[in-house]
Amino acid sequence: MVFNSLHFLWFFVVVYAVYRLLPHRGQNWLLLISSYYFYAAWDWRFLGLLAASTMVDFTAGRLLESAATERWRRAYVAMSLGFNLTLLAFFKYFNFFADSLQALLATFGVPLDFVTLRVLLPVGISFYTFVTMSYVIDVYRREIPATRNLVDFAVFVAYFPHLVAGPILRAARLLPQIETPRRVTREQVRDGLWLIAWGFFQKIFIADNVAPLANMIFDPAGASHAGINVLLGVYAFALQIYGDFAGYSNIARGTSKLMGIELIENFRFPYLVRSPQEFWRHWHISLSTWLRDYLYIPLGGNRGTSGRTQRNLLITMLLGGLWHGAAWTFVLWGAYHGILLSLYRSAERIDAVRRWLTARSSLAHGTSWFVMFHLTCYGWLIFRARSVAQIRDLTAAVLTAFQPSALDVSGLLVPLVLYATPLLLVHAMEARADDLLVVPKLSPIVRYSAYAATFFLTMLFGNFGGSEFIYFQF
Amino acid sequence: MRRRARHVLLFITVFLAWGGLFEAALRQWGSSEAAPAFQGLFTGDPLIGYRLNPGARTRFSTSEFDTNIAINHQGVRDDQEIGSKRAQETRIAVLGDSLVLSVQVPFETTFTEQLERALNNGRGDRETSYRVINAGVQGYGPVEELLFFRQVVRALQPDVVLVTVFVGNDAEEALGSRSKLSSGQTQAFRDSLMTRMRRVVRRSMVLQVLRLRVLAATDRFRTRSGPPEPPLQTYAARPAPRIADGIALTRDVLSQLAAEARNAGARTGIILMPARFQIDDTDYGHLREIVAQAGGELVRDAATERFAAALGDLELPVIDLLPVLRQAKRGPGLFFDENVHLTPRGHEVVSQALVPFVRDRLLTRH
Repeated sequence: MVFNSLHFLWFFVVVYAVYRLLPHRGQNWLLLISSYYFYAAWDWRFLGLLAASTMVDFTAGRLLESAATERWRRAYVAMSLGFNLTLLAFFKYFNFFADSLQALLATFGVPLDFVTLRVLLPVGISFYTFVTMSYVIDVYRREIPATRNLVDFAVFVAYFPHLVAGPILRAARLLPQIETPRRVTREQVRDGLWLIAWGFFQKIFIADNVAPLANMIFDPAGASHAGINVLLGVYAFALQIYGDFAGYSNIARGTSKLMGIELIENFRFPYLVRSPQEFWRHWHISLSTWLRDYLYIPLGGNRGTSGRTQRNLLITMLLGGLWHGAAWTFVLWGAYHGILLSLYRSAERIDAVRRWLTARSSLAHGTSWFVMFHLTCYGWLIFRARSVAQIRDLTAAVLTAFQPSALDVSGLLVPLVLYATPLLLVHAMEARADDLLVVPKLSPIVRYSAYAATFFLTMLFGNFGGSEFIYFQF
Repeated sequence: MRRRARHVLLFITVFLAWGGLFEAALRQWGSSEAAPAFQGLFTGDPLIGYRLNPGARTRFSTSEFDTNIAINHQGVRDDQEIGSKRAQETRIAVLGDSLVLSVQVPFETTFTEQLERALNNGRGDRETSYRVINAGVQGYGPVEELLFFRQVVRALQPDVVLVTVFVGNDAEEALGSRSKLSSGQTQAFRDSLMTRMRRVVRRSMVLQVLRLRVLAATDRFRTRSGPPEPPLQTYAARPAPRIADGIALTRDVLSQLAAEARNAGARTGIILMPARFQIDDTDYGHLREIVAQAGGELVRDAATERFAAALGDLELPVIDLLPVLRQAKRGPGLFFDENVHLTPRGHEVVSQALVPFVRDRLLTRH
């Protein structure tokens, strides 16, 4: 079931109506049943996987608390992590590694066709395995106590607003909200409704409308385009993936707010940043903080030599790229961001560069923003490309065949500007107030205008035949 | 409480204001039949629901055409009045829907006007003259055409009535308007109210889009309770039972119309008009795929064959335009790309086919 379907609308209306009538424990049971229904609507056969993951990590948490020695604690955490990583490796990466191995051996003239198993990717597996792993690691680190209530834990794992595409929640933040009675405030309803409306706008008006612009450049692979149009196609994809994913996160946060449960912000003006470090503090925040806390810091973080820090950054981002999907383009994208982070870290040591990056002048701000935005966009070119060969071809088109005179004004430029403008206007208001929920706090006439404009733009010009959310595949 | 009421009022006002703003913007920069200029061509009618507005004039522009449209005071498309009938004048009224009205092309290009010119050019003596009346109205089906004949066309004293049956949707159109036949004024008035409401929605470009969104959403929802019905049922290999009912009703209506025309001294002929995809292979491939995806099977000429079979026993002259258009499909397009109506060349082909049909089978006294 996807958020942008009538099925979800009816599902949520019914669940929410019953939810508001039930006491706290009843609400948790309802959330559990409805979350499993939500997941089963995609494919009920994988419910067992979700339940198994929940049981294993709930048990691991309980065992960790009752373990007599550190050795046993290490054994329990290793078992839990081993289980989750095996699950992820098998369902998400089996095909990828099998195909890669076949291709590698084939280049040496060794045909290998024993691997014929086609594994179906269970939706949301990358998200919920990361959620459960973080819980077990936090209990192991004694940062949180293990929960004693299986229903509460199962709700924490399967909670439908975040189940299939995040945000990747931490137990320390979500479990207490599940364990204790909730009160839905008027502000939560107001903000929640706005987040839902804005999320749909980002998905239906922006992402699904600019998707064909990006597809013009990326599909089919091998078609030749002038560099300037490639650049616009990449801008379109940058807008698409942001609208798609941030839209999903906003709908998730909004529906959750209506139920009195606060989820974290997952995006905060990621295209307004001026450095790679900042980008990862503003883009898919729940994943980047997860990678920081459970991978980068345990690897040593920035403690130790500069070389070790750069190695840690590279490993973290490589794995972060691979988390997005089992394809070499994602690995390259991760490596690209790892290299960017390392280079910026090295460049910051140079006085002139540091001064430039921290300067308050508009010129310095503008230049560093421009550079970072285009570095991010190049990352999206790698991410969206259908093959390494396409990355090469599109890069060559931008660098060697820019051809400004071939600019596709009516097919690319004008629609891109039209679809981006409302987003920029709202972001300008939000950035000025440094508040992602500034719209519901504006004066009534401005607020209602924003609501009405969002409604009409979505309904009149939205692409209602659009696709599923991109991050479902991850 | 009062504060909340003020907020609600303000919210509604702002919402309506934005709705108005989008409406104005769409009317200014978007072109569609919802535009007030186009809607001004129609007026309410207590029996039929609506008809052409006598004396209306407008210019209708889209990306594909730019046409001046005039409705004369008799209520049919023509830039001249239809005066009293002269002794040697033969009048031919062509009933039908948008494919006859043809707002996409200039009046002189319509097949009715081309037919009139061809008949007048080919006449044997100077005394006789032919007047072809374009009695097509956008959105009409067989039932409305019968009512329009009674209300408007009969008074124009036609000698020949040509009824254009659009095989693509006339079965469903007839069924949808059946109540207009059997009912008295009350039912017709109720229909007229519905029609008026529909016209309010049709006049607003914003409301039209919202209506389509709601329909799309509810259609999708309906599919959850049962399998979806593939579109283009008149062409389906196994059509819904209502299609047979609709074709039978069309037959009855045409029989009634022919009888009333005969009583008024006119002969009746039938034109079977095919849908664009019956001629255009690309369009056909596309639609066949859509129908297949919905679980159906599209039979390209099924609607034409079904209507031809049903209307055959009326013993009225019938011309099927399908073979004519199919034969002429080489060269410039017969239909517009973005709408399903005839291009100027399509009108030319149709008028050339109609000339011998009208002259030999309807004007000649047997």
